[in-house]
Amino acid sequence: MIELNATLIAQILNFLILVAILRALAYKPVAKMLQQRADKIQETIDKANSDKKAAEDTLAQYKSQLADAQKRAQEIVDKAEITARQEREALVAETKKEIDRMKQNAQLEIQNERDRAFDQMKAEIVSLSLAAAEKIVAKNLSSKENDKLVSDFISGLDKNMFEDAN
Amino acid sequence: MEHIGVRETVQFMGLTFNWETLCMTWLAMAIVIIISCLAVKSLSIIPKGWQNFVEIIVVWLHGQLENMMGKRGKMFAPFIVSLFLFLLTCNLLGLIPTLASPTNDLNTTLGLALLVVCMVHFFGLYFKGGHYIAHFFQPFPPFVIINMIEEIAKPITLAFRLFGNILAGEILIIVLLHLLPIWMPIPSVLWLGFSIFISCVHAVIFTMLSMAYLGNAVKE
Repeated sequence: MIELNATLIAQILNFLILVAILRALAYKPVAKMLQQRADKIQETIDKANSDKKAAEDTLAQYKSQLADAQKRAQEIVDKAEITARQEREALVAETKKEIDRMKQNAQLEIQNERDRAFDQMKAEIVSLSLAAAEKIVAKNLSSKENDKLVSDFISGLDKNMFEDAN
Repeated sequence: MEHIGVRETVQFMGLTFNWETLCMTWLAMAIVIIISCLAVKSLSIIPKGWQNFVEIIVVWLHGQLENMMGKRGKMFAPFIVSLFLFLLTCNLLGLIPTLASPTNDLNTTLGLALLVVCMVHFFGLYFKGGHYIAHFFQPFPPFVIINMIEEIAKPITLAFRLFGNILAGEILIIVLLHLLPIWMPIPSVLWLGFSIFISCVHAVIFTMLSMAYLGNAVKE
């Protein structure tokens, strides 16, 4: 069962030949493939990290731009509000001035009307008084003298009497 | 082996060779080379099939080499990978009916063990020089006797462990077939299953021990 002979040397040689063949045929390509795979994985991880960083940078940039735009929009809205308010106040003041002016015109016109009415009434009173006086007084006076008499009488009257009647 | 213990020999140039052992060795070498060819036929980034199998073995052994031998381990990788694949194929070959393991011959196992031990001493001297010789005398000079016994025991145990297990396995296969009638195949089947496990385990053990001995010599 146990006999050592030249097979010992033959087996050592056989095995060394096998090592040489396998090294050239199998080990080198497989080792190269393992290295390639490790490199590719490392490259993929590095690329993923750098992509992530670039995406984060872009996001931060967009966020800051958005904040800027919002601030500017707010400024525009505030300015517009102020302008609108100022215009509205100017318009209100203008309208008030117009109303005052119209009021004054109306008052002037009323005064004019009152004076005219007063004059008219004066003339009617003169003629009515003359007619009444004619009936009572026997003497037949001339129209001109009559007018002068009555006008003096009425002028002597207090104008306040008519104005209180307002 | 038709008769247990009898090996057929041939004479060549005045030297005696065990013919069956040589033929089975060449057959095992052919199988290993064919598997390797299949593995590297179409290498792809995502491995499948034989490439996957060979890559599993290579990656595992790379890890062990780095563990035991540090950075210098990479140069031994082809040797260790070939050793493992060769031993695995040899041990499993004997379980096929009418074939025999090359490792049931002491010449094979002793040859491999002597090769490994010679490599250990050669590379120990190459990388460490005087320190390598000095370490035999650590921690005290009388320890050289114990270290020498250890260095002689290494190839002997390495060879006989593998030889004994594989030969005994084969002998028992024959004995069981002779002892049991044809209608009781169960013990033979169980023993065959166990032998498959033992074949794989001993390939691993031989390879790991070789790496350990090389690591002792080569590690910084």
